[in-house]
Amino acid sequence: MTREVVAVVGADGAVLRWSTGDGASVPDDRGLWECLWAARDGLLGVAHSHPGSGPPAPSSEDLSTFAACEAGLGRRLRWWIATADGVIAVEWTGPGRTEYGAVSPGPTPWLEELRRRSGFGLASGPGRSP
Amino acid sequence: MNGRNQNVLLARLNVTWDGQNGDLWEPVPFEATDAEIRAWATEAVRSRAIAGVEPRGEVDLTDFVVDRFPATAELPQPRLFVRPKTPFGAE
Repeated sequence: MTREVVAVVGADGAVLRWSTGDGASVPDDRGLWECLWAARDGLLGVAHSHPGSGPPAPSSEDLSTFAACEAGLGRRLRWWIATADGVIAVEWTGPGRTEYGAVSPGPTPWLEELRRRSGFGLASGPGRSP
Repeated sequence: MNGRNQNVLLARLNVTWDGQNGDLWEPVPFEATDAEIRAWATEAVRSRAIAGVEPRGEVDLTDFVVDRFPATAELPQPRLFVRPKTPFGAE
């Protein structure tokens, strides 16, 4: 059983907060927003997982959340999305409010832990039998 | 104003926008809909009615949500907070 997990990543790459959903989504959470707001000056971005494997892509829900959080914070962030065997990072490219494009993910020291918390065990990894 | 309006529960409205945060000086009805509260918050930012919040650029609170906190012994006035939504979801 996999679940979606969110990690708030500070400028030094350390995870400031983990949030765990109960399936293929993480619900709205005031606590998560309070973490983003409190850390806004030293924030690098936010990572989250999607179930399954292969190249991930942001959902429409993801994109509107990226845009809303950046509007509230008054600054742009990097947004990573990881599956069992893929990871991408996106940043706002514009001109539209929810137009984000892929960038180099850069260092991702939290990626293994994000996958572990998401339930991407050996059984669900790529090339493994269930 | 009719009799119903005289019993409206009023709340302090806090808005976060563009890295800024502040309270609207005028209280608003606690039981208003999210859409009404977002509209008031948008107009308040645009019209500089919130101390400490300047309307830099277009003010768009479309994907913002409203948190509601009833009055408590410590905070006798109900509070409303307009902030960005935070859900993530795969499709």
